[in-house]
Formats: sequence, structure tokens, C-alpha cells
Amino acid sequence: MDLKEKLEASFLAFENKVSTDIDSAVHDIRSAAFTYFEQNGFPTRRDEEWKYTSLKPLLKHDYNVFPEAETALEYAAVKKYFLHEIESYKIVFIDGVYSSFLSETTHDGYDVCLLSAALKRPKYKMVIDHYFNTIASKTDSVTSLNTAFSKEGAYIHIPKNTVLPKPVQILHFSTGNEANLLLQPRNLIVVGENSHVQIIERHQSLSKNVVLTNSVTEIFTNKRAIVDYYKIQNDNRAASLIDNTYIKQQQNSIASVNTFSVGGNITRNNLEFHQEGEHCTSNLNGITIIGEKQHVDNHTLVHHKFPNCESNELYKGMYADRSTGVFNGKVIVDKEAQKINAFQQNNNILMDDGATINSKPQLEIFADDVKCSHGCTIGQLDEDALFYMRSRGIPKKEAKGLLLYAFANDALEKIKIPELKARITKLIASKLGVDLGFDL
Amino acid sequence: MLEIKNLHASIEDKDILKGINLSVKPGEVHAIMGPNGSGKSTLSSVIAGREDYEVTKGEIVLNGEDLEDLAPDERAHKGIFMSFQYPVEIPGVTVTNFIKTAINETRKANGLEELPAKDMLKKIRATAELLEIDRKFLSRSLNEGFSGGEKKRNEIFQMAMLEPKLAILDETDSGLDIDALKVVANGVNKLKSEDNAVVLITHYQRLLEYIVPDYVHVLHDGKIVKSGGAELALELEEKGYDWVK
Amino acid sequence: MSKYTEDDLKKELETKEYEYGFYTEIEADKFPVGLNEDIVRAISEKKNEPEWMTEWRLDAFKIWQEMKEPDWANVTYQKPDFQNISYYSAPKKKPELESLDQVDPELLKTFEKLGISIEEQKRLSGVAVDIVMDSVSVATTFKETLAEKGIIFCPISEAIQEHPELVKKYIGSVVPKTDNFYAALNSAVFSDGSFCYIPKGVKCPMELSTYFRINEGGTGQFERTLVIADESSYVSYLEGCTAPQRDENQLHAAVVELIALDDAEIKYSTVQNWFPGDKEGKGGVFNFVTKRGLCETNAKISWTQVETGSAITWKYPSCILKGNNSIGEFYSIAVTNNFQQADTGTKMIHLGKNTKSTIISKGISAGKSQNSYRGLVQISPRAKHARNFSQCDSLLMGNECGAHTFPYIEAKNKSAQIEHEATTSKIGEDQLFYCNQRGIDTDKAIALIVNGFSKEVLNKLPMEFAVEAQKLLEISLEGSVG
Repeated sequence: MDLKEKLEASFLAFENKVSTDIDSAVHDIRSAAFTYFEQNGFPTRRDEEWKYTSLKPLLKHDYNVFPEAETALEYAAVKKYFLHEIESYKIVFIDGVYSSFLSETTHDGYDVCLLSAALKRPKYKMVIDHYFNTIASKTDSVTSLNTAFSKEGAYIHIPKNTVLPKPVQILHFSTGNEANLLLQPRNLIVVGENSHVQIIERHQSLSKNVVLTNSVTEIFTNKRAIVDYYKIQNDNRAASLIDNTYIKQQQNSIASVNTFSVGGNITRNNLEFHQEGEHCTSNLNGITIIGEKQHVDNHTLVHHKFPNCESNELYKGMYADRSTGVFNGKVIVDKEAQKINAFQQNNNILMDDGATINSKPQLEIFADDVKCSHGCTIGQLDEDALFYMRSRGIPKKEAKGLLLYAFANDALEKIKIPELKARITKLIASKLGVDLGFDL
Repeated sequence: MLEIKNLHASIEDKDILKGINLSVKPGEVHAIMGPNGSGKSTLSSVIAGREDYEVTKGEIVLNGEDLEDLAPDERAHKGIFMSFQYPVEIPGVTVTNFIKTAINETRKANGLEELPAKDMLKKIRATAELLEIDRKFLSRSLNEGFSGGEKKRNEIFQMAMLEPKLAILDETDSGLDIDALKVVANGVNKLKSEDNAVVLITHYQRLLEYIVPDYVHVLHDGKIVKSGGAELALELEEKGYDWVK
Repeated sequence: MSKYTEDDLKKELETKEYEYGFYTEIEADKFPVGLNEDIVRAISEKKNEPEWMTEWRLDAFKIWQEMKEPDWANVTYQKPDFQNISYYSAPKKKPELESLDQVDPELLKTFEKLGISIEEQKRLSGVAVDIVMDSVSVATTFKETLAEKGIIFCPISEAIQEHPELVKKYIGSVVPKTDNFYAALNSAVFSDGSFCYIPKGVKCPMELSTYFRINEGGTGQFERTLVIADESSYVSYLEGCTAPQRDENQLHAAVVELIALDDAEIKYSTVQNWFPGDKEGKGGVFNFVTKRGLCETNAKISWTQVETGSAITWKYPSCILKGNNSIGEFYSIAVTNNFQQADTGTKMIHLGKNTKSTIISKGISAGKSQNSYRGLVQISPRAKHARNFSQCDSLLMGNECGAHTFPYIEAKNKSAQIEHEATTSKIGEDQLFYCNQRGIDTDKAIALIVNGFSKEVLNKLPMEFAVEAQKLLEISLEGSVG
């Protein structure tokens, strides 16, 4: 039985299990999504959007698709995965199940809690009806698969004029209790007018067992809202991630997503920004540093539908050994969307001969009064700079690391939480084998 | 040559010119001075026929012909030249190619044959020499990467090539160092004749030391509030614009 | 040899027409619509082709039958019914008109704007031209000059008869029958086209042009061109014509193969101005072309194209940089207006060491048209120190059109250096006013600005072509900014 068949067989059981705690609207959403997945299956490389990333090696495992067992973890054992230097709200899942012990949620003035709770209780019904599955793609089969099995994840709802005093951390641990585990978390984040939230998300496997996470996050930024989202992808080699993030922006809102991909087996980030009002700003930043046979695919879409908006996209990639980097950046500017500034930059460094980069920066412009540009470079470290540093006594490895670090630096500059910036700087320095006694 | 009668103009429903009267005869140099926002640049744009501005009242007559219904290029064909305060860049089009096109289009509109390439080249060279313009400059893309001074000099070069009847120099002196200013003024003086007229639009008196006007007009809030001879400019410099308000 | 003038050209053509007047003989020939093995055989038989060519065609036909018409390009159109096309019609003589007065005045106006001589106008519009003087000498000189150098330049049908070893060796070697749907179709049914061979060490002394092509008439639909530049040779080849070309055949599927052996250089320039359809988007030619060149060691292939015609353009002149130090270049201007759709670009496949490629693409969209750049830069693991520079600029005129870029960049070698840039811009109101103030009307101003925008590519065209191409851009965009 292949994975698709298994999922088909499990869906009925899943439905039976959850049918008591859902209302019919969500039930219909799941059924429709499942039908879509059933008809279309997993994407293959024949699909233009998956031309450079094959899911085949991930689909051969016999996954437990519907884990239920509750496992406890000691805080001390996983503390290092938290940004523990600062106060934060925490929504923590262990093998897909909510861990109240490790979490710190709130309902005080705003909701930072669980999707399962929000789907169940009548007081959230209006929000769910209004937002749930309204921006996530209905014509993408991996997203549909997640929607079909959507049940648990983070639920963050911030009313208007509220600035959260501390960031929210969303952590997903997998313990290795299952030999092969499929996780499908579903997050819903709604930010009201003039409100501001910072979110840090991380997926972490604690064993060498195979984990595949197919995550979907829907983010809604209302007028003048600000969302800063940080994705830390430093999982171990047996863990793969398909991370689907959909953002719908109202006028004057600013949404930023920063993705740091330095771990994992196969990572595919689908990131979509849909601008639904004037004067929106969308920021996309990414740093990828991988080696061995790792694979990271950043697949982004910015859809400008209204005038006077901007988007800034900056992805830096460094690829060693036999790793593969993919960048697909699509920018669409609709006919009505005049006076758009859309900038996209994708810079890559190949460090070894076995490494591969596939880049497809793509513009689709239907309005004439716009400034759009994209640039893509693939190159190496500046040999002259390397030689210069070595002539000043810096060993080759360190010199290389420093240059790479400098290369990534402008994407690092976008991190607005100082403690997080320090953390990621360290992380990147360690990946590059640089000992940084100073800030660059 | 140029008669402006009770000219009112607005942009986006905002009135800028509120009844301008001005008469310019061949051989004359007029200076229009005024503080920022008094409507100086609007006046030159309206004469040149910029479509963003709407003439709500009054008329502009050039050699007996009302300009109202004429497009900017048709006005140019009639001999109006306006030097731009901020000349526009056109990538990939050389100075030479641009001026060649401009001259031949104007000649065609006036029922003349295109200027033979040989004569065109001769004229370009002679003018470049007159204005102390480097030959290399002529094969650069129009205004692309030009310094402020180069842009202004290029405007004067085009003026010299097109030999307009009425030249309006809009803040030609702004952003120029004293040497560049001298070159520009020198060019204007050399081109001045009994048959053409010059309207200088400027904020400062500086340019008028080099190009001496026959008349000076002070523009304030869309109206000419004072007119006089060259000495008016000096007086203004001394007393400031508040004096004429 | 002194440069050819247009009059020489005209004479050349007249002579050829005269020389090969036997076409009248087969004029009535037209095959029934539809395509099957018998038709393919019949085409081959008509051309009196050797057995191996017939087999080659049949093989291509089998392959084609298994293939599906591609639909990945960013164009929408009613797919042709391939069984409703006649695949062989002998070149028809154009109806002879007595004077230019009988020619569509619109067409004449365009000719005039392009600066095409009266005699040439007559030729293009099918007016009988009196041959007043003995022009055989010109043609002879032309042929003699080439023959002296050992250059072969003839219709491919002739080459199949007379130089079978060359054709056999190289046809399908760069664009295999299996390459794509249209290439397979072309391989099965190609009507005719040009064949060119430049021997070792020879620099072809003149621009070879399809103007000189002998049987101009019926070759348009499924044209096949094969250019072979032997070691250390050089050739510059011009294809197409700035004059608007009307053709009753809606579907065009040409194949062009270039082979540049060690140290050879081929420069291939195209101006394409097939009928783009009317202002409402009715009619117009579908142009599905496969063009590809192969570079051996130190060889260079340079594609330059100015594309203003066709309702649908699907065209990616490409270079396979197989040999070390080989160079590929692609310079393109694609203009779309009204309801035209163009999906064009290039593929640069770097296989050899120190290979270099340059891509400069200028897309200009006006009216309700869609203009797409689609390109692939691929650096294979063996292609050490490969370099590519790409620049794709789009100019949009008005708010009903679209400009798209689909660059694919694939690098598998750490020493690769790739730079890709793309920009989108429009013609500014302030630019137009500035030109207007200097006495240049809006249409002329647009032409000037567009020429400036396209300059890097126009500069790559042979001189005589460049002037016409410039005028062509102007005409293609007339009245597109109100």
C-alpha cells in the first residue's frame, strides 16, 4: 500500500474520530480537500511547480499518518531548542499532540492557543468561519492533504490595536516513538488592525527516525498590522519538511517572513503573499546553508493585486557537497496594480562540484507603471579576497567562513529580535565553521 | 512675438496662474523672477503646452496665432523652445541622434526637406565648438548619467541647433557652478538676435549678471506684481521678495 | 567583392525565378488534407529523394504520432487540426499583377515606410517585373564567388541529391526527430529550405541570405535549414525579411540546425515579420520554430533576432556549447502589439570547459499582447569555469498588455559564474513631453525611445538589416500610445 492509498484508507477513520468535535462547515472543507488530494495525488516533477524537487524518496516510507500517543518531554532535554533567553508565549507539540506542560498560552486580551480548541468551541466559530482555509490553496494537493487532516496546530488571534509584549514560539517535536512519522500541523494566525506580533517557528526531530512534516500556516494581516515571522529549519537529516505558508494582507500592512534553512533532509518552502489592499509591504528573506545530500527549495509567490505596494525579496544560498538548492520566485503584478515596486534578488554560492542550484526567478507583469526587477547570481567566493585574508594570517577555512558569513549578512540584518539575531548568527557561523568573536 | 493675455491655469483643480499679461517682442530678453511656488515653472510649461496643466482663461498668442489647440510638438515646430529644469533621460538614444530627429521633424513640419547628413554634421560640429562641448559628449545617451552642468549645457546645445524664435530658459542657472554658468550665458548671448526672443525664468539674480535682460517681471502668487528694467533685479536681490508682495 | 545593393538583389531573384521557371509544371499539385505514412512517402517521392531520406521522414512521422502538442508556453490559441492541413503543395506562382496600382494600398504604404525600392516592392507584391537587362551575370558572379571558395549554398532538396553525405551526417544531429512535437512534424514533412556548407578555413565573403533562396514560394510552411561551418570557417547568415509577409498557411513549423566545428563561427540573424493578425486579433501566422546550434571546440554561434510578426511565436534559438572555450550568444528584440503572443528566448547548454554565453533580450509589449521571455542556462558538472550573463528587459506600453520572464538557471559546477538581471519599465510621460517639446511627435518619440531601448541588440545586426529593422520597430508600434 503506498502512502496515498494509506492516507485514503485513514481518512475515514480520521473523520469518524473528529466528526464529533467539528461543525459541518469544517467537515465540508476537509472532505472537499480530501477529494482534491484523492484526484490529484502527490505532485511529481512533471508538474512545473515541482520541476526541481522530487517527493518520491519521501513517499516510500510506511508512515504512521495519525499519531495519537502522548509523550512527555523534560524541559531540560529540549530547552536548547527554545529561544529561552527571552520571555515568550509557547505553543508546543510533541509528535503532533499538544503539550500543555511545555506550553505557555493565553486568552488574556488575545488568543494564543490551539487550533483544536478553536475548531471545537462555539466562541471561535466566527473567526474560523471567516478565516479558516480561505487563503490556503485549494488547488495544491499537498496543501489539500493538510487541510483534509487539519485538526491541530497553533491558533493566534489578536484583536485590533494590540501589540504583543513578547514573541510567540511554535515548536513541533518528534520523539522517534514511531519509526516513520507523518505530521500535518495547521496554523491559523489572524492579526487585527494596528496590531503587531512576532512569531518564531521550529520543527525539531529528536531521533534518527524518519519524519515528514506537511505544515500549512494561514496568516491574515488586517489594516496597518505588522507580522514578523521567523522560520528556523535546522532539523536532523532524517526529517523532511513541506512548509506551506499563505499570507493575505490588507492595506498598509507589513508582513515579513524570514526563513533560515540549515538542516533537514528535503525542505520545501511554499510561501505565498497575496496583497489585498493598497500600500502593503511584503518582505521575504532567506538564508540557506546546506551540504551532504540535503535539498532546500524556496518556492515563493508575491501577488500584487492593488496599487502602491511593494515587495522585497532576498534569498541567499550556500551549497556544499552534493546538496541542491532551488529558488523559484514568482512575482505577479495585476493590471490594476500600478505604482508597484517589486524587487527580487537571489544570490548563490556553490562550494563543491557536486552541488547544484536551480533558480527560476519569474516575473509576470500586467501593469505598465511599475518598477520590477529581479537578479540572480551564481558564483564562488572572491579568490582575491580569500588570498588577501590568508596573507594576513587567517587560515583558509576561517577566511572562507568569514566571506560566506559576510555574503549572508544582509539577510541576517532583517532579524528584529536581538536575541534571535544573536542565536541565528551563531547558528550560521557554526554551519560555516567560523568562530565569531565579534559582530560583523 | 508672444502675447499672453489674462492667462489663468490650474493643475488638478488647483489654480496656479491667476491672470498673467506679458508681451515679448523680437530681439528682447525678458526675465521672470519670483520666489518658489509663485508659478514660474507653470508658466513655462503652459507656454510649451504641457498637458497636465489646464488653461482655464485667457490666451497665449505667438506671432498672431492662438496656441490653445496646438500639441507640444506643434508649438515646437512654430519656434518655441523650452529648456527643462530637469532634462529627461532617454537611454540608448545619443545626443546626436536625438537632435537630428528633432531638427528633421521640425523641418518636415515646416515643409522643408530633411537636412542632408553632411550639413547636419557640420552644423552639429560648429555648434559644439561654439558652446565648448566635447565631441565625445555627442555620442553619449541623452542625459543618461549626465552631471547637472552637462544636462544644462546639452539643453543650450539643442537650443542652438533648433534656432527657436522664442526660447524659454527655465531655471537654467540652478545647480551650475560659475564656469558652467558662464558657458551657458555665453551661448545664449551668442544666439541672441533681432529676430528671436528669450524669456529667462530664474529665482536668483546671478544669471542676469551675464545675460542682461531688457525687462524684469516679478511673479508672485500667479500674477506679475511688478515690472521694470534690469535694475529691478538688483533691487530685488537687495530687498528680497517680501518687498514686492 | 563589393557589397550587394538592393538592385543586385532584385536581379538575382529575377534570374532565379527565370532559371527555375519549371515550377509552373507542378503548379496544380496539391495533396489531399491530412497526414499519414502515404502522404509522407508521397512528399519524399515528389522530391525524388533517396531511400534513406524517405525512411528518415517515416521514422520522424512515427515519432510525431506518439507525441502530444506541447502546452507549457505562455500562449493561448486554437490548436491547429493537423489532419486538416495539406502537407504538400508545389510552390504556387503568385498571381501576376500588371502594376503597383493593383496592390493593396496599405501594403504599399508599409513598403514605403520601410524604404523598400519600387522594384523590390513590385517583386514582393507579385507585380511582373520587366527584365530589361541581362542580369544573369550578377547571379553568375554570386555563384562563382561562392563556388571558388568551395562554399555550398543551395536548397536543401538539392543538397539531398548532390551532397547526400553531408546532409546524412548532419541533419537531425542538433535537433533530433524526437526533440519536440513540431520538430518531429517538420522532420516528417519538411518542404524545403536552405543548405549551407562552408569548407575548412574559409571566411564566407558575403552575408548569405535567404533572400537568395531559390524556390521562395512554397518553402515557408515547414522550412528546414542546415548550416555547417567546417573548422576555422566563418559565415554570417541572414534570414527573413522586414517586409510584411502574408501567408495563407497559418501553421509554420521550421527547423534550423547550425553546426560550428572547431574554431568556426556562425552568425545567424533573423528578422521575422509574418502576418500578426488584424487589429482584432483575427488570423495571423502561428510560428513554432526549433532553432539550435552546436559549438565544437573554440567555436562561436551568435543568434540575433528581431521578431515583430506572427500571431503566436514559439521560438528558442539555442546553443549547445559542447566544445571547450566555445561561445554562445543570443540577442533578441521581440515586439508584440494588438493581440499578438510571443513566447521566446533561448537555451544555453554549457557542456565544455570555459564556455561562455551571453543573453540580451528586449521585450516590448503594446496593445493587448503578451510577451514572454523563456530561457534556460544550464551548466553541466563538467563545464568548469563556465560563464553566463543574461539581461532581460521589458518595456510595457499601455495597461492592457503583459510582460513575463521565465528564466531557468541550473548550475552543477562550483566554478560557474552566472549573472541574471531583469527589469521592467515603461515609456514615461515626461520622456514623451520632452521629445514633443523638441518638435518630435509622439509616434516618432516612441520609435526613438524604443530604438534606444533595443540598441544593444540592433547593433548586433548586419548594417543593412539594422536600418530596416529599426524602421520595422517603428511601424510595429505605431499608434500604440494614445
